This record gives sequence, C-alpha cells and structure tokens, in this order.
Amino acid sequence: MKRPVGTRTEIIDKNAPAITVKNLHKSFHLPTEQAFGLKQAIFNRLRGVKGYREQKVLKGLDFEIKQGEFLGIVGKNGSGKSTLLKILAGIYYPEKGDITINGTLVPFIELGVGFNPELTGRENVYMNGALLGFSNAEMDKMYDDIWEFAELKDFQDQKLKNYSSGMQVRLAFSIAIRARGDILLLDEVLAVGDAAFQQKCEKYFENLKENHQTVILVTHSMDNVRRFCTRAILIDDGKIVKDGAPDKIADAYLKLWS
Amino acid sequence: MSIPRVLNRKNRILLKELTKTDFKLRYQGSVLGYLWALLRPLMMFAILYIVFAKLLKIGGDIPHYPVYLLCGTTMWSFFTECTSQGIQAIVNRGDLLRKISFPKYIVVVSATLTAVINMLINLVVIIVFALINGVAPSPTWLLAIPAIFEIYLLSLGLAFLLGSINVKYRDITSIWDVLIQALFYAVPIIYPIAMVATTSEVAAKIILLGPIAQAIQDIRFSLITHETITTWNYIANPLVIIPIVFTIGILIIGALVFRRKSKFFAEEV
Repeated sequence: MKRPVGTRTEIIDKNAPAITVKNLHKSFHLPTEQAFGLKQAIFNRLRGVKGYREQKVLKGLDFEIKQGEFLGIVGKNGSGKSTLLKILAGIYYPEKGDITINGTLVPFIELGVGFNPELTGRENVYMNGALLGFSNAEMDKMYDDIWEFAELKDFQDQKLKNYSSGMQVRLAFSIAIRARGDILLLDEVLAVGDAAFQQKCEKYFENLKENHQTVILVTHSMDNVRRFCTRAILIDDGKIVKDGAPDKIADAYLKLWS
Repeated sequence: MSIPRVLNRKNRILLKELTKTDFKLRYQGSVLGYLWALLRPLMMFAILYIVFAKLLKIGGDIPHYPVYLLCGTTMWSFFTECTSQGIQAIVNRGDLLRKISFPKYIVVVSATLTAVINMLINLVVIIVFALINGVAPSPTWLLAIPAIFEIYLLSLGLAFLLGSINVKYRDITSIWDVLIQALFYAVPIIYPIAMVATTSEVAAKIILLGPIAQAIQDIRFSLITHETITTWNYIANPLVIIPIVFTIGILIIGALVFRRKSKFFAEEV
C-alpha cells in the first residue's frame, strides 16, 4: 500500500522565487466497481484484483513563479489545474517531484469552506476566519468591515440557511479578502455576486496586481487572464503546453477547441 | 511532526473554533439545548437504576450505589462518545480536508473534546450527587484525574487508529457500534465486580485487566467509596500493568497509523 511521496518544502527567502516546482507527478487511485467497504476489499485481495484504476493527472510539471507575479493557470476541464493547485496548497501530496514554497501561502480552493447552514452568519464568520488563521480578537477588529463589504449587515444573526446562495458567496468573499499571505492561490473565485459586487471584486484584484502580490489564479475566463495576469501557463492532459504572456496563452487556450 | 507545529497559534485557533462549533451544532434546534448534555446521561442512569438496582436488586451492599452506578455510566458514555465521534471525525469533516491544508489530527481531537466537555459537566453532577448522598470530600478525589485521563488517551488512540481505517472502509463505524454494545457487558458498570468474583475469581481478574474497567473502578474508588474493588487492590502480580501498557500501546500505534495514512485522507475521504 506504500505509495511514493514527493516533497513539499516551505522556506522563507527574500531572494528566491515564490514557488518552484520540479518534475511534479500525481496520479489518483480510482476505485473500480464497488471497492468501498471491507467485504469488497477482502474479495479483491483474494482474487488478486487491485480494486482501483490508476489515473495519471499530472505528468511531470516544471515551472517557477517569481515573487510579485500574477500567474494565470488555464486549461480544459480535467486537465489537472485544480489538482496542481491542491498540491501547491498542501492538501494533496505530490506523488513524485519537489515543490518549494517560499513564504506563507493562503489557498482559496473554494469560497466559504466550513460554512455551516445551521449556524448564524456571525458564527460562520468566526469559524471561516479561524480556518484562515485569524483569532477571535483579530476577527472582532475586522468584523464590521466584512459585513460592510458584503452589504449584508441586516442578516448577521440569521442562520446561513436563510441566505440566498449569492449572499453566502458574497459573505465568504468578504472574509476571504481579509487574508494576508505572501502567496495567494485562487481557484475560480472571481465571478461572484451581481454586477455591482463584481466591480468591487475586480477592484480587489486590481489592487493585488498593483501591490505586486504573488497570486496564482486558476480560471476559465480569458478576460480575467488578459486583464490581471502578468504571465500565464496552459495545461493540457497533465503537462504544461505553453508558458508565457497572458495574451498569447489566452489565444492558445481558445484554439484548443478549433 | 515537530512540537512547534503541533501547538502553533493557527492550529490552536482552529482547534478551539472547531470544538466550539461541534458543541453548538450538537444541540442546535432542540428546545432544551445544552441541557441535553446533562439530561441524556441522567435519563440513562435513571433507566439503569430502576432496572438493576430496584427491580433486579443488584449492588445492594455497595455504599452509595446510585452514585456509584451514575459514575460508571457517565464514564462509559464518555468513552463511547469519544471513540465514536473521533472515529467518524475525518469522514464528517471531509469537506474541510478537501479544501484546506491543516494537520488532520485537529478534527479528531476537536470531536473528542466535545465529549470531554460533556463528561466534565456530568462530573459536576456526580460530585453534587455524591455530596448529597453523604460522601465526604477528600483529597483522594484527585486520583480520579489520572484515571479519566487514561480513558481519554485510550479513546484518542482508538479514534486515531480506527478513524484512519474508517476513511476507506466505512464498515468500521458499524463494527465499532456493535462491539461497544458487547463491551458494555464486559465492563463492571451495571453489575458489581464482586458479583463476578464470587463465581470466578479468574474471570473477575480478567475483567479488571481491561483499561476501561480498571479506570472506572479507580474513579469510583477515589470519588465514591474505598470499598471499591480495583485492579490494584485485587490483583497482586506484575500483570497489573497490562491496562496501562495497553492504553499507551494503542495510543502509539494509533498515532503512527494516523500519521502515515493522513497524507491521503484528502484524496480518499
């Protein structure tokens, strides 16, 4: 059962690149038929069946992200973008290869992680804040600003299940942007809320770009790639097929289907 | 897993907040709310008391038998709650594991801490009942602390061990449910160990070598009556260390298995 495990190292070095990825491989064991449960596991072992199929998702990635870069990662569904992001975030372990993360990294794989419909907005804010590493005292300070930004002040003490999905995302986004780190990982969290709220979000991303914040953004919106990114890479079938200026990558991405 | 990482600020914040939400959610939407933390074990005690002490007339010669019984049932509930919540913690918090990166043991510990809070509330009830029943407060009460701690460590070890297997084989939850029902009768909670001893001393000794039996008898000895038969005053050979060795062994094996498997929880859960 022992699977090979690559390395993920965290360092703090002002002069080194923000992220270095060398020869990164990742595959998943997908259970075949009903491989869940003890009975099936015993049967599979007796019959000499593996009980899973190996799915190669990342097939040797090499890249470097410099400090202050706003990197866009684009590719078709299932090309391995999110898996890459999760490995960078430390959620999945690299199967092979070496990753070096320089500085603190804040991942947003999804907005509103840990949100519970049975808790009030207030309770959820503190819970979500804790997941981002904020103590109660720190949350107290930014509490009003969060609700101000989300434009949901009147709903603070309502249970989250009574929020519309748009309201939930707005609240989650308002908490998320409080997070401070050397590197931000964002997975498709740009487009939330109505037009007015979207403008606010875009302003936040422009700010990030102006402040030379290191950001890695996984997205399907080529408009956003062109607008915010300083560099982009195109991933297809687990490999980097193109790396360069956002405009070129956006064009290459759209050509994938033609 | 180095020490500073285990106890760093971010992990402490997370552990605290998760425990708080777990506890809140447990009694969410019920009219009596947190009162249930008290009422549930008291009701279970009432049932056992009526059936075993009044109808079957077991335990007549043990001083303060009702409190003695309550003490046993409370500590048993603590053990069952701790283990079953702990075993399911990884699966229950799967959503979190798939979305953010943090030391996985935190979800297991937070799930068991809810059981600790419940137990502490009930411990207050036991002490109040004991005082009402005429048990005199004494410094030996403090001896209950290591025994309670032992139950906690054993539960934690089991939660780590079985919880990591449960991620892939969900059968563990059901198996443990049944097993714990059976174990209940292997521990002298509703029957006094003296009853077993009159039939077979060997059987009584074997029972007392189980860590839960040993810990519960120790707690009863220190809190309620020194007439309690304990592993230490009943078994006079080096075998008495078995419960302690077993507890530490499970904890170490559990922690090691958990550390090895936890790398893949996010993918498998």
